[in-house]
Amino acid sequence: MAALSKEIDIKITNAEFERFRDFFYRKTGIRFEDSKRYFVDKRLVERIKKTSSNSFRDYFTSMRFQASGEELQQLINIMTVNETYFFRESHQFDCMVEELLDEIVRTQNKTELKIWSVPSSTGEEPYSIAIYLMEKWPGINHVDVELLSSDIDSSVLEKAKAGIFNERSVQNLSPALRKKYFNKTEFGLYQATDDLRSCVHFSKVNLNEQKDMQKYRDIDLIFCRNVLIYFDDYSRRNVAEALYDALSPGGYIFLGHSESMSRISSLFKIRKFKDALAYQKPIE
Amino acid sequence: MKKILIVDDATTVRMYHRQLMESLGYHVEEAGNGVEALEKASQDTYDLFLVDINMPKMDGYTFIEEIRKTPAVKATPAIMISTEETESDRDKAYEAGANFYFIKPVRMEAIQTFTKLLTGGAE
Amino acid sequence: MVLKKAATVATATTSEKSAYGLQDWLRLIDSTSPEDRRLAARALAEFPVSAPALLNTLARESNIRVKGAILVSLQCIGGHRVLEGLLPFLRSDNAALRNGVIEILQGMPNEIGDYINDLLHDQDSDVRIFAIDILQTLAHPDSPTWLLDVILHDKHVNVVATAIDRLTEIGTPEMLPAMKSVLARFPNEPYIEFIVNLAIKRLSED
Repeated sequence: MAALSKEIDIKITNAEFERFRDFFYRKTGIRFEDSKRYFVDKRLVERIKKTSSNSFRDYFTSMRFQASGEELQQLINIMTVNETYFFRESHQFDCMVEELLDEIVRTQNKTELKIWSVPSSTGEEPYSIAIYLMEKWPGINHVDVELLSSDIDSSVLEKAKAGIFNERSVQNLSPALRKKYFNKTEFGLYQATDDLRSCVHFSKVNLNEQKDMQKYRDIDLIFCRNVLIYFDDYSRRNVAEALYDALSPGGYIFLGHSESMSRISSLFKIRKFKDALAYQKPIE
Repeated sequence: MKKILIVDDATTVRMYHRQLMESLGYHVEEAGNGVEALEKASQDTYDLFLVDINMPKMDGYTFIEEIRKTPAVKATPAIMISTEETESDRDKAYEAGANFYFIKPVRMEAIQTFTKLLTGGAE
Repeated sequence: MVLKKAATVATATTSEKSAYGLQDWLRLIDSTSPEDRRLAARALAEFPVSAPALLNTLARESNIRVKGAILVSLQCIGGHRVLEGLLPFLRSDNAALRNGVIEILQGMPNEIGDYINDLLHDQDSDVRIFAIDILQTLAHPDSPTWLLDVILHDKHVNVVATAIDRLTEIGTPEMLPAMKSVLARFPNEPYIEFIVNLAIKRLSED
């Protein structure tokens, strides 16, 4: 017991919180509202202890001036956690396979489609899209689909590529789908089959970074769910512009259930489908 | 019951107009800017739009121009209510496709009369 | 499985524009194609020296999407010069432009503080209302005081009403007497009566 490290009581002061908030915003475009104070403090203290720093000041200084930027990446990772599971908000996937993709193929005469799922998080969303396409979209027999998925967080991307999920993650999948697309690991977890994993091309991207975003063009459908909500007004507008750039004319965006493009930008046209709302880049 | 969509970025203005309309027996919904209003109009049917001019994301003129181009809502009447008092503001509102133009603060009886006229009553 | 395999993916679409520099983008922003002008406006965010060119384009630009992209790029560049370049647009006849500029100014709390007082005392009541609109989401500690001064002294009913609207959100109980004094200054005005009573209720609960 004596070996236990001394339990120092670290508190983040108001001024420290402000300072961190400004810094984090400048780096990531993510701005924490005051209501997120408890969430932010808790995670900051966690990192301060993990890095054996003595105080916020020590930690902040070393993190800011760390050449590798490794600690900042760690911070971004824990500050942006988001719950995710297979077939989450599935009405949008239904919309995709029942109406949206067919419409794009029909009206734009496409034989190849690009779908982009961002942020990938640990992979549940892009793999859900892949499963939906193969299981529920007849068009897959004559249209090639390139499925891209990106995240700002490299450790999350590694997890997504590995494709190992727990019971809770796959709870919405039928036993048949689990059997078809996953192998049970010795620890009772579910690993996506090589075939499923090879369907998704993962990459690292910061939505606020024009240089990163310029690599994504001619996309037909973007899933950008539950991320803009963490951004401030400027970053949201900036990302809306960047997503517009990334879309092919006539391409669509799905946002998360609590998000609305109408509070961000007038760039897109609202399209109401049977199962979901989508935002379309005008064809013109 | 007929439905009115109030489009204004100021919360208190929306609340004021809401009680004016509800007192006449209309069902009222609100939107904080033109894009939000278009989103609502694409999902629901309204009998009248009460529209402010200066709003973020999409201003009132643009909103009315957009609905006049959209078959489903093309014929829905729209009243503009603005703080801008010049002749040219009024002209622009009619050019965009507004059915009537009021200067804030609106006189209660006047807006209620025109609302009834344009919707054919609340029932 | 027919889904295209990752191995064949070529993510980056390399266009001839990937090698463009400042001068190329400055040329492109004069293009006759709105799509090109928008691309140029987006790219110029990386070049703060392009701010005057962006402001010039904004003045004559008719395409709403190009305008939006220019505004986002100007906000990205930021600073006093950009701010001073944007202020004249508050007097523009074009509502979309005016309101776009207001949104950008809301995101410049550090710079706008020096100018807000002049705007709040402008001869044009619309400009005064726009100044209050800027304060709507501006994260500036002096906002409540500025707004209090407006409700105490401005003579225009819509200017005062707009200020009250904002104060229902950020006012303090100390402002209650000032609120009540507005009722006396604008008698027989049901709208003012309505929002003042609303503000009093909100601030008293504080």
